[in-house]
Amino acid sequence: MTGLEHAQKYWYPVAMLGELNDGQTKNTQLLGTEISVCGSNEESVTVSSAGQLLAVQCQYDHVWTTFSDDPYPLFAIPEAEEPGRRFVPCGVVRVSCSPLRAVENFLDIAHFPFVHTGVLGAEPHTEVYKYDVQIDEKHDEVFATNIRFFQPQASKSAEGSIETEYIYRVPAPMAAILYKTCPPKPEAMDVITLFVQPIDEETCDVWPWMALYDDTSTMADLIQFQQLIFVQDRSILENQLPRKLPIDPGHEIPTKADLTSIAYRRWLKKRGAYYGALEKI
Amino acid sequence: MTTEPIGLAQDLAPKGVMRAQIGHADMAIWRSTSGVISAWENRCPHRGMRLSHGFVRGESLACAYHGWHYDCDAKCHYIPAHPELEPPSTIRPAIYSVVEKAGIIWVNTAGTATPAELPDRLLGLRTITMQCDLSTAAHAIASAAQTNAALFNGSVNDINSDQTILSLANPNGTDGICILFQQPLAQSTVIHVLAHDSYSQNELIAISRWCESVRREAERIMQSSNKVEPAK
Repeated sequence: MTGLEHAQKYWYPVAMLGELNDGQTKNTQLLGTEISVCGSNEESVTVSSAGQLLAVQCQYDHVWTTFSDDPYPLFAIPEAEEPGRRFVPCGVVRVSCSPLRAVENFLDIAHFPFVHTGVLGAEPHTEVYKYDVQIDEKHDEVFATNIRFFQPQASKSAEGSIETEYIYRVPAPMAAILYKTCPPKPEAMDVITLFVQPIDEETCDVWPWMALYDDTSTMADLIQFQQLIFVQDRSILENQLPRKLPIDPGHEIPTKADLTSIAYRRWLKKRGAYYGALEKI
Repeated sequence: MTTEPIGLAQDLAPKGVMRAQIGHADMAIWRSTSGVISAWENRCPHRGMRLSHGFVRGESLACAYHGWHYDCDAKCHYIPAHPELEPPSTIRPAIYSVVEKAGIIWVNTAGTATPAELPDRLLGLRTITMQCDLSTAAHAIASAAQTNAALFNGSVNDINSDQTILSLANPNGTDGICILFQQPLAQSTVIHVLAHDSYSQNELIAISRWCESVRREAERIMQSSNKVEPAK
């Protein structure tokens, strides 16, 4: 199976439910193929490619589609059912990089003091403490736990700097879910996800989505905070060489802080998720 | 491989970083706080980030992504995520030979940099990128020099006989300006302009403007020659 054939077996976000507009067609691309999104709501939305209708489902405030007749199921986010959370679709950021590079960057914490200076990190608090990464065999997901990091402004709801706890799930090659300390509700964790729409192997549309406990910030402020973070990330992602993710060891040199990235690359390789990956050097 | 002029030394101050290209080689050129200049492959060995986006601290260049610090020998000596760790000596970007001479930064990507010989008493004026190939740029400069009697006497000398360094005499027939060509990509030409130290400030401004007009003319010629003939 080629990397493309493998990638075609997953569901991908192609629009926000909130942006659907009756009578308007949104033309976009998925895995190098032109597609069209039509309809005005969850009931009427359709996605088609070359005149053929594709399967559609609406989840997590987005429209998802797949090229497969027998796709892997869309991953579950149980927190999307929890009452009291605010669900925040953050819009889209176009990035000229491999969709896999976008996910890997989302799993990386060591860059916070340098790329998100004064917000998600700050010198001299640069140390990445030992954390754990495993493959969750039951769900076949990459799972990283016990991550702690000093953050000056961990979220819109944080008052001053805190040591934040992070947990990451990678439920699909082009999606990642972050659970992090929720400043106003210490017994719970905020959820921030990165849903990636692969335009082609070296271009992606990134759809951040959040499920937060925050009753005070305005929607615009929450979205603005997340957009700022992703635009900062884009300045890195569009300057990494090569644009595809080197999936085999040897081309790039990781360190202990990159345990999640190392596990992610191995997991991609094991399942043949080569779309957007640089295979042989 | 030849030695190429990639920039004016005066445009790279201490603590500065710039990007240059020679063919397919993408490079970061940087100057330490004490003035040491280095030219490296433009890729951090850790996660591939372009080092030309990095920042200089003391005698180190730090990558913009994770702050890995490299010393002037290109050895990584500090990884902020693990402050106590002594990084393996294998972590280093590829380095290129670089020298400064006559106000120019010279780089050779496949050997020792050996700068061309230039006339004396030249000072760096400016670097300009033109969206055209090298021969279009050279022809535009030569023909423009012949029609500006206020600045030049029209004589154009090919200093190293391969059209990559031209000298244009001033109206008295003596030393005028010197133009060094570099072609980082097929459709793009960089020129570094040096001017004799006897020019007045106003004359230098006039030469600088003349360079701009030549760039526009070269790009116009390039665009019109690229126009596709309409299908019949």
